[in-house]
Amino acid sequence: MTPIIAQTSWLIPLYPLMGALLTIPWSPAFIRSTGPRPAGYINIGMTALALIHSLLAFLALWGKSSPQFFFAPWLDVAGLSLSIPLEASLITLGACVLIAGLNLMAQIYAVGYLEMDWGWGRFFAMMALFEAGLCALVLCNSLLFAYMLLEILTLGTYLLVGFWYNQSLVVTGARDAFLTKRVGDLILLMAVLAIYPLAHTWDFRELAAWAQTANVDPGLITLIGIGLIAGPMSKCAQFPLHLWLDEAMEGPLPSTILRNSVVVTTGIWVLVEMEPVIALSSTASAFAIAVGAVTAIGATLISAAQIDIKRVLSYLSSAYMGLMFIALGAHQPGAALLLALIYALGMAALVMGAGSIIINITTQDLTQMGGLWSRRPVTAIAMITGAASLVALPPLGGFWAMLSLVSGLWQNDRGLLVAIVLLVNWLMAFSLARLLGLIFAGKTQQMTIRSPEPIWFIVLPLAIVAGFALHLPLVMAQFNLLPTWAEISQDMALLLTWSSILGAAIGTLLYVNRMVEDPSKLIQKPLQNLLAYDFYTPKLYRNTFVLGVDVLSRMTDWLDRYVVDGLVNAVGLASLFSGETLKYGNTGQFQFYVLTIALGVAGLGILMNWQALTALF
Amino acid sequence: MLTPLLLIPLLGAIAISLWPGLPSQQARYGALSASGAALLWTLYLFTQFDLAFGGFQFHEFLPWLPALGLNYELSLDGLSLLMVALNSLITWIAIWSSDPTIERPRLFYSLMMLVSSGVAGAFVAQNLMLFFLLYEIELVPLYLLIAIWGGEKKAYAATKFLLYTALSGALMLAGFLGTVWLSGAKDFTYHAVMGHDLPMVWQGVLLGLLLVAFGIKIPLVPFHTWLPDTYVSASTPVAMMLGGVLAKLGTYGLFRFGLGLFPDAWAQFSPYLAGWAAVSVLYGAVTAIAQKDIKRMVAYSSIGHMGYVLLGGAAMTDLALTGALSQMVSHGIILAILFHLVGVIETKVGTRELDVLNGLMNPVRGLPMVSSLLVLGGMASAGIPGLVGFVTEFLVFQGSYATYPVQTLLGVIGTGLTAVYFVILLNRTCFGRLDNAIAYFPKVTFSEKLPAYVLASLILFLGIQPNWLVKWGEPTASLMVANIPILSTGVVADEVVQQISDQVQPEAAIAFPVPTLPSLL
Repeated sequence: MTPIIAQTSWLIPLYPLMGALLTIPWSPAFIRSTGPRPAGYINIGMTALALIHSLLAFLALWGKSSPQFFFAPWLDVAGLSLSIPLEASLITLGACVLIAGLNLMAQIYAVGYLEMDWGWGRFFAMMALFEAGLCALVLCNSLLFAYMLLEILTLGTYLLVGFWYNQSLVVTGARDAFLTKRVGDLILLMAVLAIYPLAHTWDFRELAAWAQTANVDPGLITLIGIGLIAGPMSKCAQFPLHLWLDEAMEGPLPSTILRNSVVVTTGIWVLVEMEPVIALSSTASAFAIAVGAVTAIGATLISAAQIDIKRVLSYLSSAYMGLMFIALGAHQPGAALLLALIYALGMAALVMGAGSIIINITTQDLTQMGGLWSRRPVTAIAMITGAASLVALPPLGGFWAMLSLVSGLWQNDRGLLVAIVLLVNWLMAFSLARLLGLIFAGKTQQMTIRSPEPIWFIVLPLAIVAGFALHLPLVMAQFNLLPTWAEISQDMALLLTWSSILGAAIGTLLYVNRMVEDPSKLIQKPLQNLLAYDFYTPKLYRNTFVLGVDVLSRMTDWLDRYVVDGLVNAVGLASLFSGETLKYGNTGQFQFYVLTIALGVAGLGILMNWQALTALF
Repeated sequence: MLTPLLLIPLLGAIAISLWPGLPSQQARYGALSASGAALLWTLYLFTQFDLAFGGFQFHEFLPWLPALGLNYELSLDGLSLLMVALNSLITWIAIWSSDPTIERPRLFYSLMMLVSSGVAGAFVAQNLMLFFLLYEIELVPLYLLIAIWGGEKKAYAATKFLLYTALSGALMLAGFLGTVWLSGAKDFTYHAVMGHDLPMVWQGVLLGLLLVAFGIKIPLVPFHTWLPDTYVSASTPVAMMLGGVLAKLGTYGLFRFGLGLFPDAWAQFSPYLAGWAAVSVLYGAVTAIAQKDIKRMVAYSSIGHMGYVLLGGAAMTDLALTGALSQMVSHGIILAILFHLVGVIETKVGTRELDVLNGLMNPVRGLPMVSSLLVLGGMASAGIPGLVGFVTEFLVFQGSYATYPVQTLLGVIGTGLTAVYFVILLNRTCFGRLDNAIAYFPKVTFSEKLPAYVLASLILFLGIQPNWLVKWGEPTASLMVANIPILSTGVVADEVVQQISDQVQPEAAIAFPVPTLPSLL
């Protein structure tokens, strides 16, 4: 007998959805007398309810093995019967706890961060929509509905990034985020359509079961696998679809907390569910690994060359996501999920810390920062915790997640991938040390000279998230997520630890102790520019896809105006013109008309009586 | 049962035009109440409609000119029911959204009612000649509606529309006469599968005539060039009627007479039809991207979206055809809300130019509610799930993928391009910085927003509860597909096999996942 609280876990996404709907009186300002703030408080309350419910349901299911399934009918037409399958298990409810918890923290943070903003109603409604969509996504047990939710979240991203819509960078950021994600979504839709005639189901579990015995055309399943990967690629900001995440940073920072920590991992979630299908094709798996590896190395390199605090974090997000792609391609979905869990908390702490810095030094430029350690101890400790939990530094979470990935890779004789992960970890440690060094070490500058800790609405969530990031290994131990010593390879553990320490040490020497006057001089200018300008990806986009669609649309428009419509108008003009010309051929003489008519009648008469006439002669 | 659909608007039109000394306000109320009564009658039909039966219901017969084979015969099935409902709804909405201070109100409202009456009649006519007559009759009031109340270039647009549609009517008449004479029927009464016994060549010729005739009306590329001019020149309510309802006469005719009369030839043609649909979808979407006038952009988007209807019809599965019937309704609703909002923006801001419009989302001086509704409408058109556009497009895709994978995937790319131009539209009009110097727009009243509220709630409701939309067309769609000869699958399979051998080439491999033969069996 399952407790009632777990039986009703389908309610979890409905709380934030209700909160989003309840903001309507304030969002187009039907109620003006209270200001928009009640909308925010209602949503915080609703999120808290969702958190409590998912936490209680999680605890209620604890120790019981069987997950709960729910079905809600949606569409039943012409032999296609679709109901929304929901699965409440420890993993899905745990994910709900994480999402609702992080959203609660982000919303409290927003109360402080968006203190003076007039768009509270819209902002909190969108945050709640995201939470609802994410919770529904993790609970949902069907590829089709997962795709639908991803599309709705794409629209949500557009509206949330475009929150401050009167700034031009925000508008282009929102546009690029929407279109990049839509490209991925539509390729995913193609795969969704293509897989149904093969498997006759979209249910994740049934698909996994089908994949065990499936006997399909290898070419086709490769295409489907790549299609399934392409959708999450855009969600997870993998190369070459990564630019949107960087531009989306123009959106309000509290939304960035949620986006960079959990929204981007939605793609990983879908991939984890679809891993058995992708595993059917070795090419598709190799594709995932290639994408992940290129992104992981490229994005960490780029992040180390950025001077915008938000950009550093956004490229690190792509890089970490790349590690998860490698894990998926190497058929280690468990490691991917573990990485996603660690990443969510660590990145949330880093983004919250970055916001706490930005809000009262009013610049995002790392070169204008420095010397904040003594002024901002809480933020500093929180950010260091977040950074340390991301890289493989025992005993923190990142170490265990990376260790499980690397051990798996090593056991499967994938030495090159092990080397890549070690390299990425090393670079990541360096990049994070550089970031922290530039912010907190060195001399104070004009922008940082007066910089107290901000209001507790910002600091408290930051500290809480950092605390969870710090204590995550204890929680993991509680849930038996930590590998035992017998399982893991001690060589790998040592290698990982050394790579982190080495990276962090170099970063510390260069940017904390400032051993070199200007470390950027150590690297040649062209290479530095290549990294600083993100491998010139924006230019690449402009010169390929954007240019292509633009030219094509102009050409078609020209064709439409002057050829297709021109032809029609030419016919019209020709008939007008011939009429005008012919009218001058008329003599106006009555006799002439009679003659014409008589000849015509005679001609017709002959034609109609031709048979009779030929018989006659 | 069905005559009131024609009679109520017709009586309304006569009363409004002939009532002595009727003031403008009263004419509006009169038109609203008459079209409201027709809408209520349609709702009553829904309650009486027998869902279990896919054929014609509520048959009515009245001899008119039996010597010519022309009789007043009305009847209704799922396809007609949806179209009639769309017509009644959009008529009411269009009349509500017309300017209360319009010039010559009595003529305007009575012409609108006349159009509505004629279109309703065409949708329920069960006599080929009666359909033709009503199809032609609604041209006259529409010509006047465009030519009198239109915007710039109205005379050009109205004439172009008239000529094109008259040509379409002539081709259709040729097709109908040929069908009846060659098949030896004694009158023009509609029977399904009438052309079955004709030689294949004749079937092909007659279906070709009907395809071009209705292809002009829908319109499909390359017969579409009347559409942008006409939609842009027409005033908002007329554009709503044209795009929301009149275009559906084309797809209705295509399914009722093309697919209904010549299923064998339809099956032969269907690969080309699916290709034609994909071309229309892509052409409409790509051209829309280049437009600088938001009304023109919406007009081109209409061309693209009608392509999905043809794709659903060409696929010859009951799922795809049900999707196509539902897509006709969802396209009508979405296009109506878009035209309405564009009209509101034009009246309030005074321009439709993308390069001039900016920042209408501004909550104080902009048009925030109109902008939010525009976002909703645009996203519904782009096929975001949760809104009605997604459901119908998805059904079409899901139904047609098994038959025509390549064309379907091209259609999916089309929805991506739709997103591109709607993002351009939304970014330029709603987002951005509002220029305070010019931002003294008149307030949008509740009455002006009401049509958009009604349509938006339908878009949302039917998107979340799609069963309420799709169940009406399903039995009819199944019946129509059942009439398609089994022979056609052989043809189709050959076609697909050919495409597969083309498509599994490595260079084309990434973009288009294609099923193999086992998937079709």
